Amino acid sequence: MIGGLLLLWPQGWSRERKSTATMAVAALGLVLFLLVLGHLLAAAPDPIGPNAAEFAKGTWVTLELTILSGLFGIAVGVLAAVARMSRLPPLRWIAGFYIWVFRGTPLLVQILFVYFALPGWLSISDFSSATLALGLNVGAYNAEAIRAGLQAVPKGQTEAARSLGLKPLQTFGYVVFPQGIKIALPPLVNNVVSLLKDSSLAYSIGVIELANVGGRVHASTFQPVPIFTTTAIIYLALTTLLTQISGAIEHRLDVEGRI
Amino acid sequence: MSKVHPVTGDHRVPFVVAERVNKRFGKAHVLRDVTTSFYAGEVAVIVGPSGSGKSTFLRTLNRLEKHDSGRIVVDGIELNDDVQHLDAIRREVGMVFQQFNLFPHLTVLGNVSLAPRKVRNTPAAQARAEALELLARVGLTEHAHKHPHQLSGGQQQRVAIARSLAMQPKMMLFDEPTSALDPMMIKEVLDVLKDLARSGMTMAVVTHEMSFAREVGDRILYFDEGRLLQEAAPDAFFDAQQDERIRAFLGHIAH
Repeated sequence: MIGGLLLLWPQGWSRERKSTATMAVAALGLVLFLLVLGHLLAAAPDPIGPNAAEFAKGTWVTLELTILSGLFGIAVGVLAAVARMSRLPPLRWIAGFYIWVFRGTPLLVQILFVYFALPGWLSISDFSSATLALGLNVGAYNAEAIRAGLQAVPKGQTEAARSLGLKPLQTFGYVVFPQGIKIALPPLVNNVVSLLKDSSLAYSIGVIELANVGGRVHASTFQPVPIFTTTAIIYLALTTLLTQISGAIEHRLDVEGRI
Repeated sequence: MSKVHPVTGDHRVPFVVAERVNKRFGKAHVLRDVTTSFYAGEVAVIVGPSGSGKSTFLRTLNRLEKHDSGRIVVDGIELNDDVQHLDAIRREVGMVFQQFNLFPHLTVLGNVSLAPRKVRNTPAAQARAEALELLARVGLTEHAHKHPHQLSGGQQQRVAIARSLAMQPKMMLFDEPTSALDPMMIKEVLDVLKDLARSGMTMAVVTHEMSFAREVGDRILYFDEGRLLQEAAPDAFFDAQQDERIRAFLGHIAH
């Protein structure tokens, strides 16, 4: 599906133009989808129609969870990747420990831990707990993707930058990072799509997101087929639109025309 | 340091002095007691068989490789672990690589103007104007807004030369600048090098292009098994070569 919208544009359009158009259409699609979702569902027969507002609200919460924890996870991923490659052993150990713990334990346990097991003075709302746990979890996976990307940048790039007199930090910021993040983009996209689906685990601590809405409506109406079909279709629509946007970003960064 | 140059009889203070430079990669002893000097305005051409240490030696001159022992002094600054020394030297010594190493995510103009903007803090408009001037000098004005992958190898290498010149180096190091190019493109890069030599740039060039060495070189350095086996003026090196091994090398490379 990544090609999807990108293939719709006239052949003559430049890469940037196609990418911008795709992002605009997909973002617009996302907004429209959220705006009309409530009305669309309201027109559906029982048990969806009477609960349309709840589904719409749940969809918003799911999207909020994904966007906030996604941004947080990218920031954490970059920091952890850089720390993991640092020349200072303690930084490497801390980053390695973080990645080991968060990739080696179930996300559900992480969410429960953040919500219930943090000391009282640190306690935060269910939504914040879910965002924090999801962000830390995806951050650990992002870190490995970004590290692999950074390490795939040829050594000659660093040598050229250093021999031009750029300092190590400038070499990283202007030369290595922009190329490494581009290589890391496909796995990062996958991580964000997974994140959208994994946000349903926030259900466990009572965040009223999309899956939780489905569960609640089912508990009061006992009609699993229409309810969970609707829930799944909404998730599918969201992941499809997200893939379009990230595909467009990838296409824009693909200066060498490899995709 | 102001000893007499062995070949040209020069009394000037050398720009680069290397004394008994040694370098090992694990068990391989790739540089053995290399001692030589490079003078301002001179074109030194470094030749020798593959694996003779000539590229490694060139790379020690701006510390892309650390030497294990010996001394290297560039423009009065000793190369050691002092980072400020290193930054000072890298601003003054440009380097051009066999594989070009252009920044693929930047345009040609971006490649050439990046270092002046970030290292010398040249204002963007000025850096751009200077970059365009350099691109004109290497004949690539119309490609300024392309990305490196849209250019031929020869064009990419000319961009790399312009990028290096943008830092206004006092000396340029060329590490086999034409070895990755097909014959059609070698000439266009060598022409740029000849132009630079004529303009008085101090150059050290590792190459297999013997006609270039003979025509442009002020001095030929021959490396063999990590040693600087011979330093000679081009005439003496090519036409009156006494050393059997070097004669064999020259005979081999000519065909």
